[in-house]
Amino acid sequence: MVAQSELIKEARENGMDLLPLDKDTYELFFGPQHMATENFSIILKMDGHRVVEAIANPGFLHRGFEKLAEFRPWHTNVALLLRVCVPESDVPETIYSMAVDEIIGWEVPERAQWIRTTVLEMARVSSYLFWIMGLSFKLGVYTAGQWAAAYRERLMALFEQLTGARVYHIYTIPGGVRRDIPSDRWLHQLKDTVEYIKSKLPDFDHLVFENYITFKRMEGIGVMNKKFALSEGVTGPNLRATGVPYDVRRADPYLLYPELDFEVPVLNEGDALARALIRRFELEQDLYILEQLLDMGPPSGPYQVSDPRLKNLPRFKVPAGDAFSHVESTKGDFGAYVVSDGKNKPYRVQIRGPSIAHGIRVLEHLLVGSRIADVPVILMSLDNCPPDIDR
Amino acid sequence: MKMEEIEFKIAPESKIKKKPSYIKPWLGLKYLFKKPVTIKIPHEKTQIAKKYRGFHTLDWKKCVGCNFCGQICPARAIEMTWLEVDGKMEKRPHPKIDYGRCTFCQFCVDVCPTGALRFIESFILTSEWEEDTIQLFDWVPIHPEKFRKLQESYNDWRFPVEKIEFNKETKEVVYHLRDGEVFKFKILGYGIRPPKKQKGGTDSKPD
Repeated sequence: MVAQSELIKEARENGMDLLPLDKDTYELFFGPQHMATENFSIILKMDGHRVVEAIANPGFLHRGFEKLAEFRPWHTNVALLLRVCVPESDVPETIYSMAVDEIIGWEVPERAQWIRTTVLEMARVSSYLFWIMGLSFKLGVYTAGQWAAAYRERLMALFEQLTGARVYHIYTIPGGVRRDIPSDRWLHQLKDTVEYIKSKLPDFDHLVFENYITFKRMEGIGVMNKKFALSEGVTGPNLRATGVPYDVRRADPYLLYPELDFEVPVLNEGDALARALIRRFELEQDLYILEQLLDMGPPSGPYQVSDPRLKNLPRFKVPAGDAFSHVESTKGDFGAYVVSDGKNKPYRVQIRGPSIAHGIRVLEHLLVGSRIADVPVILMSLDNCPPDIDR
Repeated sequence: MKMEEIEFKIAPESKIKKKPSYIKPWLGLKYLFKKPVTIKIPHEKTQIAKKYRGFHTLDWKKCVGCNFCGQICPARAIEMTWLEVDGKMEKRPHPKIDYGRCTFCQFCVDVCPTGALRFIESFILTSEWEEDTIQLFDWVPIHPEKFRKLQESYNDWRFPVEKIEFNKETKEVVYHLRDGEVFKFKILGYGIRPPKKQKGGTDSKPD
């Protein structure tokens, strides 16, 4: 034992921190190669197949977005900041653009607002489908995952026509959006896609959400109570699964959401199953919102503000000031705080991501006491976004 | 927060909650008798949107060398280059794009005041492994009509060049286009300012 303590001492002197292990426990590196963790890793201290302690080990995707944003012109930052959340890259674009709009005092045209809302909802649907894919892979229901990927492909094709890219759209910019809706045909295609995905929801129910395997795997796992969730800054579906009816679209409405009709799902269990069912219900609500938007139709008018300064984008200056804007993403409350000092580059861009709350402290707390097989399920039920944790 | 003031329409639990079933998962078997959604590449072709943000094209006559594209580029992939075609120096510098850095955001196309810099839906960066590796790190875009013609004749969204020769000493670049056409020019220097006219041929910023 003397030799071991000396080793630990020596390691600490050299900047390494060894975990003291007793004879019954062992350390397990979970990720980043593991399929469930997606560029994220957890160090698990195991006792048999139970987790004694979990230490989140992020940092594989650290690119320093917030600092990099201080060296790029205002509009260019859209191409950078959307990388904060890969499955729904429209959310960081929109929050940044909304904050810059607020600093300048631009009134975004109605058509641009309609397009922004539609794009956000499309991103939500595609992100939920992506999540269904991940969840069903982790539960072992691979068929449903393949379906979700196929249906998401339809939305990606629509994004491709609208924005010119499939994953990183770089579409919402300060002052509106970059392109107009390509044609009426696109709107019809979107309507068809919404109806198609809606008709396929019962199939997902049969295979994933009403499957007895799902209930056996997810019920009573990773239970989070209301007090803990509120103290840790949990937002989004994870918070709603603990019984708090907080949705940014209702609590602090933005864009066209005050005019839209939808229900906020709330469950009190706070376990992995409740989180999954809330997401399942929200997917249905998002499709319903898209239907309403399509019935409303895009208002006529410009899709960008007309400002002569926009002709000289590299030297476009934003008056001094600061603004915070946030939207409801599928992961939670996504916000951006932008400070300008009157130059052609932002002084500071701070992003408030939901995953940093869910992915470190909450995950570490929920994993304690769970079985090794439940670790991917809990991780997926929280729906983290690793690039948002690292930023 | 003003949460209490706003009316929430909270979904009833009966709508959200599901009941476990032992039989329903088997209903997925009906998909065995349906057509697959996958397509067989390369026998079937993917559909690319009309305005897909792909490679750049440049109308050399329209380009005024204002360097707006270089300033807006988030990845700093664009550098202005002074060129010489058939012994005649171009009056204005033209953008050179480094596809190792480009993020295909096409902000450069948005800011171009004369509409010289455009994009085309071709997007496949890889070569066919037949010729030497294509060096795409110093690419001065070719004319949109030429690019469009090549795209329409091959229709496979690949890069329009089979081979790029670059002579490091004389700074001569030769584009071997896919239809056999050869396009030659010489790089005189980089940057916004014109290169110094010296007999030794030294550049303001070598390499």
